Amino acid sequence: MFDRRLIAYINWPILGLLFILFAAGVLNLYSASSLRLEEGVAVTPIYKKQLLWGAVALGGMLVCMLFDYRHLSALSWYIYVVTIILLICVLWYGKTIGGSQRWLDLFFFNFQPAEAAKVSILILGARMLSRVEGLVGWRDLLKICVAVAIPALLIIRQPDLGTGLSLILFAGGMIVYCGLRAGVLRAIVILLPLVLPFGWLFLHDYQKERILTFLNPESDPLGSGYHIIQSKIAIGSGGFWGKGFLEGSQSQLRFLPEKHTDFAFAVFGEEWGFVGAILLLVLFCALLYQIFLISLEAKDDFGRYLCIGVFFYFFWQIVVNIGMVLGLMPVVGMPLPFISYGGSASVVNFCLIGLVLNVSMRRFMFKRK
Amino acid sequence: MFQENEARRVFFWREKLGPRLILFLILSLFLVFGLRLWYLQIYKGDYFARQSEDNRQRRLALYAPRGRILDRDDRLLAINEPSYSLAIVREDCKDIGQTLSKISRRTGVPLQDIRENYELGKKRVKPFNNQVIIPDISFSQLAHIQGHAQHLPGVHIVVRPRRHYVAPEALSHVLGYVAQADERELITDTELSPGDNVGKQGLEAVLEQRLRGDKGLKQLEVDAVGRIIREETLVSPRPGEDVRLSLDLELQRKVYETMQGKAGGVAVMNPDNGQLLALVSSPGYDSNSFVRGLSSKKWKEMINDPRHPLQNRCIQSTYPPGSVFKLVVSACGLMLGELKPDKEIYCSGKYKLGRRVFRCWKKRGHGRVDFERSLIESCDVYYYKLGEELGVDRLSDFTRECGFGEKTGIALPYENSGLIPDRAWKREKYGEPWQGGETLNMSIGQGSVLVTPLQVARYVSALLNGGWLYRPALILSREKLDPEKIPVDAKVRNMITRTMIKTVEEPHGTAWRLRTPDATIGGKTGTAQVIKLMEKHEDKDLEEIPYRFRDHAWMASFGVKGDKRYVVVVMVEHGGHGGSGAGPIVKKIYDFLFSEKE
Repeated sequence: MFDRRLIAYINWPILGLLFILFAAGVLNLYSASSLRLEEGVAVTPIYKKQLLWGAVALGGMLVCMLFDYRHLSALSWYIYVVTIILLICVLWYGKTIGGSQRWLDLFFFNFQPAEAAKVSILILGARMLSRVEGLVGWRDLLKICVAVAIPALLIIRQPDLGTGLSLILFAGGMIVYCGLRAGVLRAIVILLPLVLPFGWLFLHDYQKERILTFLNPESDPLGSGYHIIQSKIAIGSGGFWGKGFLEGSQSQLRFLPEKHTDFAFAVFGEEWGFVGAILLLVLFCALLYQIFLISLEAKDDFGRYLCIGVFFYFFWQIVVNIGMVLGLMPVVGMPLPFISYGGSASVVNFCLIGLVLNVSMRRFMFKRK
Repeated sequence: MFQENEARRVFFWREKLGPRLILFLILSLFLVFGLRLWYLQIYKGDYFARQSEDNRQRRLALYAPRGRILDRDDRLLAINEPSYSLAIVREDCKDIGQTLSKISRRTGVPLQDIRENYELGKKRVKPFNNQVIIPDISFSQLAHIQGHAQHLPGVHIVVRPRRHYVAPEALSHVLGYVAQADERELITDTELSPGDNVGKQGLEAVLEQRLRGDKGLKQLEVDAVGRIIREETLVSPRPGEDVRLSLDLELQRKVYETMQGKAGGVAVMNPDNGQLLALVSSPGYDSNSFVRGLSSKKWKEMINDPRHPLQNRCIQSTYPPGSVFKLVVSACGLMLGELKPDKEIYCSGKYKLGRRVFRCWKKRGHGRVDFERSLIESCDVYYYKLGEELGVDRLSDFTRECGFGEKTGIALPYENSGLIPDRAWKREKYGEPWQGGETLNMSIGQGSVLVTPLQVARYVSALLNGGWLYRPALILSREKLDPEKIPVDAKVRNMITRTMIKTVEEPHGTAWRLRTPDATIGGKTGTAQVIKLMEKHEDKDLEEIPYRFRDHAWMASFGVKGDKRYVVVVMVEHGGHGGSGAGPIVKKIYDFLFSEKE
């Protein structure tokens, strides 16, 4: 059953990038979780937890590499249904942390079904798109939209706008990549600007406020504008070379909010400067490019769309998170892959990379099946 | 055909457009964020670096104690004591509106006042620095705030020196007071920050720069909740200079006490250098109440008080000098040769000019009067005649050279120059020519002539000290004063001062009340009409005349004992006759002056 060639075909660059990024993330977390007190610097052991999660995630990634990814295509609907059930369970039995009901208490750890929903939409989307003949038409689009909308709305209800939106965004990216029929394309280009303003009506007040303060952060420098202002100060004050590891005053002195999750990149930018931030950006671009290359080499459409899905999954997170930290986008709670702290997110990220590696490993294996 | 077209399109999209889209996305991701990073970190890097420094480094003022004010014997007049102010660091307050109302509730200070202070300071104090919102809180308020410190993040107690006046009422007009700097002062003086006290009146205002000193600066490194991580003194405060005055606290107190219940001004001067030993205006006010902050109600009360406690009557109020002015008019006559000391004039109690009749204060008349008697008994008719002979032009020019009608230059704000009328003034003010009768009124110190008590003291000093018109000094210094000389030669000066002594010593002298054993006292009384003396009040006792119609009582005097020489001028508003209204006060002052030092 086990084929030596599988190991030979492992995409080492992507694995290398993954480890560098994760290491940078843990290092950054070490600094982000330290506080400068009168006695010196105190470090809370958050980075240890992240390392632990990294080990778990690595296991998950290996599991995702072991089986032939094409089995997933057949299982995709079952996975999807289970996910929807979990999301509904969260609505009833979920644990509420910080005002949103996102977690299922699985005794030994808190599990976010939303993370699972990302994976299942990815798989289902790839399957549905791989079955489309030619370009995506109205009927295909409707099917996919419904399939995505159900979990997306359930997640937004929690409320977790960031994850819900990311679901829609990466599914949308996959569809566009697959190609749209001329009529559908035309209709979307015309209708989308008309529909978007209505989305405003469905936003919570705090979400509207975030968007408004994004447009004019100085209007409320202590309230919701505070995050953007402090984040820009942190990044900007890093300068060319940065303030140095553990020297970032913005984060050490706690001016920076959410510094180990959503604003982790600001800590990085403050301490490592322009040089470090650009390097990190290059690493991300390289990772995305590698995923893209694998998608080109994939030997079937399902694998290809799976990779494209993972591509958009990471792409949007990077865009929204860094865009927010740099003050280019409104504050939406979306973590930066591998850099931000987060257990479930790390596991999912690693698993998705595992799937990409899986596709890459099995690009020559078709005859065997 | 259609099939083929569709297939081409699919191929184009899958193989060309899709991959290009992906590459385009990766590239734009890098370019947009790369450019943004360049903009934030390189282009605006310095700006954000400064912002981040501002974030963590707060600068606290170290308050410089204001210079003390001492009297000539180093007795303290104005000192500093610790006071507590309430300040907030805006950036540390979660909800400023709520914090302010909480503070208002805990301290009992009206929310509106706090808000006003807050708005005033908001523009000037950085969000990370202490902004004083209630200057000067009491101990009980302090206790209320400290007790709830954990519910009031960003609220701090600031300890700073506060002014205290040892003799707040007796010295109120000389020292003035300090009070919270207002909007205008904050704009013009950048060294001030909201909540700072600044000299508003008197010497506190005049000597502001000497007394204030320079604030120091302390730098604190803090975290986001305002906890102090490190602190360092950048600049040590430079305390303000101490200032020694020429005043004598005991004398000042004594004089103020004697003036209790009366309105008026007293100047006690050393004639030989112009230094003031006492400068009292009554009634005084509590200068400490201004330091603590005066409510607008109390302020209005003070402004509308009919006795005008804020007015410094020695320099800011002007009065007709009455017969005291004869000291100047007679000098003028003697110097210009119009007055022969031995020539006698008959006083019938009346003097006619055209159809008008000018009357002497003594209805029955003084009979035959020579120069000496004219001063001793203060005969008006004698001076009517002298005035007519001198004419207004010569008289007003001479008077001005004796220091009237101009500011003495004392180091106090808002000094009044008084008024010496002349033809030009009359024409400008009323558009009418000068009337001969006005000259007559002027020569007995009535009419439009207005002087301040300090001007009189300065003139009397000049009579004694060889003719030098010193600038009245309040501050002890070795500074060489550059005085002018009055146009009165030694012979005339001696004649006048000798006659002043006789005014005290002779039985008919109007200033007989000043007689003091073992001391040589000279004096001249003055009774200045407030309005044209009404017939109906003429024969009444002082108590029967309504207060505001009573005459002002003047006494200009000097006293010599051993090597001590003093000039004492007393003016009692609506005090009645100079001799009886002001005389006893002058007497008490001399008794104190001559007994004290022995």
